[in-house]
Amino acid sequence: MNTLRWILLTVFLAAIPIWLISPRAGRAYLRLSVLLMVCSLMLLPFVWLICAAFKDKSVLNEYTFLPPVARWFPGDAGEPALLNLGNFRELFTPRPTLQGPVSFWRYLVNSLFLASASTVISLFFCSLAGYALAKYRFRGRSIIQTFMLASLMVPGVVFLIPNWEIIWRLGWMDSYLGLIVPGAVSVFGIFLFRQAMLDIPTELIEAGRIDGCSEFRIYLSLVVPLVRPMIGAFCLLTFLGHWNAFLGPNMYLQSQSKLTLPVVLNQYIGVYTQQYGVFLAGTLIAIIPPAILFLSLQREFIAGLQSGALKQ
Amino acid sequence: MAFPFGNSALALLLTAVLSLAAMITLDGGAGTSQRPDLIIATFTKEHAAAYAPAIRAFEQEHGVRISLQVVDQRALQNRLQAAMQVGAQVPDMVELLTGSMGIFTSGPLSNVGFHDLTDRIAAEGLDQILVRNRFGLWSSRGRIFALPHDVHPVMLAYRRDIVERLGINVEELKTWADFERVGREISKDRDGDGVVEHYMIDLPSDGGDALRLLLLQRGVSLFDSKGEVAFDDPRAAQVVIWYVRQTVGPHRIAFPAGWGQNLAKAMMDGTCLFYICPDWRTKQFVNDVPAVAGKMALLPLPAWEPGGIRTSTWGGTGLAFPRQSRNFELAWKLAMRLYFDPDELGQRFADTNILPPVRTAWSRPEFSRTDSFFSGQPLGRLYIELADSVPDEPSHTYMNTAVAKLSEAFQNISLHYRQHGEKGLESFAAKELRRCADRVRIQVNRNVFLRQDPRRQS
Amino acid sequence: MLTSTGVPVKKRRLSPDRWAPYVFLSPYFILTAAFFLYPLFYAAILSLHYTNGPKHRQFVGLDNFRHILSDPDFYQAMKNTTVFAAASVFIQLPMSLGLAMLLNAKSDRLKGMFRLAIFAPNLVGQVFVGILFMMLFTPRYGLFNRLTQAIFGAGIDARWLGDPNLVMPAIVICSLWMYVGFNMIYFLAALQNIDASLVEAARIDGAGPIQVFWNVTRPAITPVATFVVVTSTIGSFNLYELPNTLLQGAGPNNSGLFAVTYLYGFFSAQDLGTAAAVGWVLAAVIFAISLLQIFISGVSRRDS
Repeated sequence: MNTLRWILLTVFLAAIPIWLISPRAGRAYLRLSVLLMVCSLMLLPFVWLICAAFKDKSVLNEYTFLPPVARWFPGDAGEPALLNLGNFRELFTPRPTLQGPVSFWRYLVNSLFLASASTVISLFFCSLAGYALAKYRFRGRSIIQTFMLASLMVPGVVFLIPNWEIIWRLGWMDSYLGLIVPGAVSVFGIFLFRQAMLDIPTELIEAGRIDGCSEFRIYLSLVVPLVRPMIGAFCLLTFLGHWNAFLGPNMYLQSQSKLTLPVVLNQYIGVYTQQYGVFLAGTLIAIIPPAILFLSLQREFIAGLQSGALKQ
Repeated sequence: MAFPFGNSALALLLTAVLSLAAMITLDGGAGTSQRPDLIIATFTKEHAAAYAPAIRAFEQEHGVRISLQVVDQRALQNRLQAAMQVGAQVPDMVELLTGSMGIFTSGPLSNVGFHDLTDRIAAEGLDQILVRNRFGLWSSRGRIFALPHDVHPVMLAYRRDIVERLGINVEELKTWADFERVGREISKDRDGDGVVEHYMIDLPSDGGDALRLLLLQRGVSLFDSKGEVAFDDPRAAQVVIWYVRQTVGPHRIAFPAGWGQNLAKAMMDGTCLFYICPDWRTKQFVNDVPAVAGKMALLPLPAWEPGGIRTSTWGGTGLAFPRQSRNFELAWKLAMRLYFDPDELGQRFADTNILPPVRTAWSRPEFSRTDSFFSGQPLGRLYIELADSVPDEPSHTYMNTAVAKLSEAFQNISLHYRQHGEKGLESFAAKELRRCADRVRIQVNRNVFLRQDPRRQS
Repeated sequence: MLTSTGVPVKKRRLSPDRWAPYVFLSPYFILTAAFFLYPLFYAAILSLHYTNGPKHRQFVGLDNFRHILSDPDFYQAMKNTTVFAAASVFIQLPMSLGLAMLLNAKSDRLKGMFRLAIFAPNLVGQVFVGILFMMLFTPRYGLFNRLTQAIFGAGIDARWLGDPNLVMPAIVICSLWMYVGFNMIYFLAALQNIDASLVEAARIDGAGPIQVFWNVTRPAITPVATFVVVTSTIGSFNLYELPNTLLQGAGPNNSGLFAVTYLYGFFSAQDLGTAAAVGWVLAAVIFAISLLQIFISGVSRRDS
């Protein structure tokens, strides 16, 4: 592995002659090599994750990434293949629970439902509230906005315990209601949409009124389509938050069959048995849905943030 | 008209609807009517495998269906307590690990989610046939909430071949002082290559379970039988100082061999000669380090004082019955089968080397067999001889807090020894143990429910 | 006023429905009352009790607060949390900004790819990152240990998660991996909003790169920087999942004990009252810090 040190050294030292020939090219070279280095550092854990998920569990620590190609397949003398789907097979094997046998598919479906339903619901409520703040003048508006900003500063942990008890008293323990309802409106989301909607020309809204549209109709068919980039950004951030949430599901859900991916995969790393390979296989699968969402929303996401989320 | 929120939001909406539909279908498929008559949860595959045949037989005899589930200990513990509070589904029988009973007994006794077994045990005379000291682990305020699974006496396992070659007479290792004296002779770099060939004993450098079991042997438990914090006893300071001297500094005789593959390597190389060995560990050695078969032997722990007790205890499992259990009588019947049936226990000892606390079972032939791995010693008899002197280890709600604080004290004392040597060590150790014990006392005294302990008022 | 455009129009209805905004905001009102105001008030009541789960409680006055404020573990947790917050602000923020500036070149085909690579860790949840890095930090075999050994020739046996002095650096490394890309995107958005002609004009006026940064770039990114500082601070006070999975507990000698881990300890011991009290103490601390940050950023804005 010492070669790695030499490669790095060469890459950086090469900047000097290039700089001497043309400072401009030297700068570009340096910029590119730094970026490439950072990117490889960022991607390295992913590469390791993918390799480890397919590696046989007996050689998890044996090779940094992959075993030599010759050992990928079953040997002539009957040695087992060191690359296989054993971890995934183990992951998808249904296990007995208090609710009968439950397979990994069930947890995947649970997570998908919880994350997408929460996102869609809060998308509707947040954009609606954001619209009210952006485009109406009404009594109490500035008080409400000040209150919202102040409430952002109260950390979530304050609510952890009382909300747990409230949800217990509501009988929402072990149900998805306890996870969806309290988070259905977020002040952060309201402000994202308020900022984006401030730029919408008032004439457009008035034109809608002249045409006899109801207030809700104006919001739905005139205003919402204009803030699509922000919708993209909001959906991505909200989905990620719910998809990866651990604390809430871990506190509120009791039945094994209702658990979500982060909680279930965490169970593979126990005190007495650590099934690292199975955990990694599950993690690999858990990354896929947010990755799809990100790739399809990437442009809107960037545009949404640029459209003035953080202009004050 | 197009979906106003755009395609991505539409896709998310569809996902939500489809996954909801999938959840409903899956729920419908696995109807609750199929729930077995009893669900028993345990935390190790080994226990599950050992119980499986008996459970199959029990099912046939009684015409019932029983589901045996392996759940991670931490998940079991966290989720079970919450599930009991909110009335969600819980197993009918649960195997718990030492220390975990504390979490369930932090409130009034009436709020403990398990059946109080005290009267039932007395009525059936079980306390007469069980090793008395094994109830402490599963009790709170004098009430018993689980059946003990094991005794777990502790011995020393050692590399007999190397020990003999070095001319150590194990008969002379009667006290830990003897052990230390011999150990200092042994734990030296003999060939001058800068590496010590053999350390006398395997002890973890952070204290941990090994320190606790040595304290127990000295008569110091974290909490005494009245529920008072007890680890700042003057004898505790002596043990901690002894431990620190053996693990840190110039005269150390101990090396942390670790676990798993590292431990196996150390045993094969003879990096350590003696290993702390409760009954459950013998089977691990047999399975994990076949290379040293026939080269190992067992020896009672050296005593702290001449004539003192020569064993301790490490770990333990208990079987508890959640109050929400729908069929306590059936569960109790199964428990009698799994935990008290002599035939069953004899076979299981042969499989696991774990000594059951049921005295009446010890006459079974399996307990008198010799073991070739341990140089032909009668493994069962050796542990049985020590079983009745196993020290009591009373459980407590703040057991985990006490473990953490003892470890904090140990680390600080160890650091003091590294920085200042013997100077002021004894007074510092006593002071530090007192400070950490007081932190635990503060926690205990804050708990208004424990104050209602009748034994503390009297 | 929306209707004050001054254009006289003959219309069916010009003024908006008076009640519409209240209706649109009603979900917020209801949920805020139920899951914000009420719990805030309820937490205060709870904090005056000693409890055993939700079913048993006894009034103990201010005893819970007295206990927290005299508990060395609380101060350890606050210290760790503060150190982590400072690391987020002073290490992560410059790195994110630097990367954003490197990426902010005019035409670059690779930009999208770089952005994707640097943002990618954000798709992975804290729980997954925690356990993944637990494996990467394994002494002797972990990828991270092998990497430092290969590059710097040291660290193959470093006990990142077992040595009290290395635990905090390990957590900071994890959080850098996770969040540098996220904050970079924010900075990038701000940088791309800068009018290129402004930079050109400054250059023509003879301003060097440092002056351009100070006079053009800095004002544009100040709101983002403030935002990042505030969210990082609040984020470190909410940090739970990452250290909890990475260390499977609070780490050796409580070196990985954070504010929420401390609170959660009381919760799992059925002591909801003290847990609620910790929540209130934390809220007070964060509120003070946020006010201070806003005050400072307000002063600096007035200066410029």
